[in-house]
Amino acid sequence: MIAAARPILAVLEREVIKLLRQRWRLLSSMVRPMLWLLVIGAGFAATQGRSGSGNYQTFLVPGVLGMTLLFGAMLAALSTVYDKESGVMRMLIIAPIERYCIAIAKALAAMLSALIQALMLLVLLSALGYVSSQLSIPLLVLGLLGTALVCASLGMLVAAWSRTLENYAGMMNLVIFPVFFLSGSLYPVHQLPLPLQIVASLNPYTYGVDLLRHASIAGPAAASAADFAMGRDLIVVIGFSAAALIVAGLRFSRDAVSEPLVHRLAQNR
Amino acid sequence: MTTELAIRAQFLTKRYGATIAVAGIDLAIPRGGFFGLLGPNGAGKTSTIHMLSTLLRPTSGEAWVAGYAVNGQSLAVRGSIGVVFQDPALDRSLSAAENLRFAGRLNDLSRAEIHRRSTELLELFGLSEQRDVPVASLSGGMRRALDIARGVIHQPRILFLDEPTIGLDVPNRRAIWRHIARLRAELGMTVFLTTHYLEEAIDCDQVAFLSSGRVVREGPPRTLVEQLCRNILEVETDQPAQLAEQLEPRLGAALIEGESLQFRCDSDPVELGSLQAELASKAKAVRWRRPNLNDVFLWVNRPPASQKRRAA
Repeated sequence: MIAAARPILAVLEREVIKLLRQRWRLLSSMVRPMLWLLVIGAGFAATQGRSGSGNYQTFLVPGVLGMTLLFGAMLAALSTVYDKESGVMRMLIIAPIERYCIAIAKALAAMLSALIQALMLLVLLSALGYVSSQLSIPLLVLGLLGTALVCASLGMLVAAWSRTLENYAGMMNLVIFPVFFLSGSLYPVHQLPLPLQIVASLNPYTYGVDLLRHASIAGPAAASAADFAMGRDLIVVIGFSAAALIVAGLRFSRDAVSEPLVHRLAQNR
Repeated sequence: MTTELAIRAQFLTKRYGATIAVAGIDLAIPRGGFFGLLGPNGAGKTSTIHMLSTLLRPTSGEAWVAGYAVNGQSLAVRGSIGVVFQDPALDRSLSAAENLRFAGRLNDLSRAEIHRRSTELLELFGLSEQRDVPVASLSGGMRRALDIARGVIHQPRILFLDEPTIGLDVPNRRAIWRHIARLRAELGMTVFLTTHYLEEAIDCDQVAFLSSGRVVREGPPRTLVEQLCRNILEVETDQPAQLAEQLEPRLGAALIEGESLQFRCDSDPVELGSLQAELASKAKAVRWRRPNLNDVFLWVNRPPASQKRRAA
């Protein structure tokens, strides 16, 4: 791992260069959560007949922050599938680094990409007055890192098993949306009907968002809306991510990943 | 013995299910050598390169690259080699210099080293002005040159080039060969090359012809050509089988390739005029020419006479 420090940094650097060049991607990563917060948040609050939409929107702030991390990290991790099709994976597999380091490097790059987008959203949210002065910065950092880690690991797990970009488009609908909707991002888990409650409790992303709720981003009321104890959140986040990265790393280390790749590269001409 | 050779392989074999891609080849390539693995598409050239560069696990057999075993010391092997694949290993969205930096950092080079070497390589390959141009905007020839620069940024001891000139026009192909010659002259690296443009391999020290995964002939290319014959008599006709039968007693074994009928001639050529007169009604053209590596390969793979007749 230590010998692979420079290659890992190279993968991170490439991710940042690419992210900053894709203005549309940055813009959409800001627009998507703001739409949820301002349009859907207000709409939901109205149908619930609450006096003032502030409560639901306050509840939604950690949810949309989580959403930015989820989309940012998953899309970056799933770009590994694109790398397999383009020349970049060829550069990675011929480099003198262990194959599992490629999975680790891509996961770290996905985390970094997601965190940059989340920090930009935080700046925007605070400019619009959605960030409370009572927020806990250590808990916020923990929540951001934990959620980014869960999403990047989940993304690498999916990327390790997908071969083509057609899968990649399908992954968006089959993975990202279900993970987002079947979590505590939009509604408190304990208020869901039992079957959905069970599904949401099995979703590791739920615990990442829950960690963000503990940070009282939009004020202490939001923290009290957390569904689980912080310790449980941390155990699930770390446990799931470690397991997912080990599995993805093993998958990358096996010939099965590079072999069909190089074989296909050799045949498609 | 392994340390004196850049590449050594013993009965290297690769199967994909029931298909045998490489059927037990042996190689011994000295340090600083320029080796060409030749053959048509699907002969097993790419599978061989991928096994030697640790991207594919051999089904059986063993190989040592730069003294390291491809089975078991794959990191050390990858640290000693550069590979230029048939398709570019470049990030299209990054610039030429950014691609070299990425490749250099993947090979654990410092920023200063990367800067120095990429400046040298871009200069060497005539890409200095394209330094900050995204790869997506480069021409095919420039992209191939950049990909070779990418493959040697870490100054590998051994460079694998898999069809380095495929898909390029003649001026670009020549440019790529000039680059490779300069790399060999300046860095003294061992070059292992595959190509199906056989005539391009004439400057190799040693070539091996691969057919259906087997080495069918090997040796220094000029010697192989000399051993084939001094001249080739080529007769263009729409009745190749008939003419072959007519001329074989006088000119020796014939090779039929489409509408072209060829004979190897070591003695002084039969008077061309008289042959032309004799064949006037049946041949569209009769000519003498020097043999080349392509001819060596065609004659090595010449089907036995009886099959040839039936096919014709």
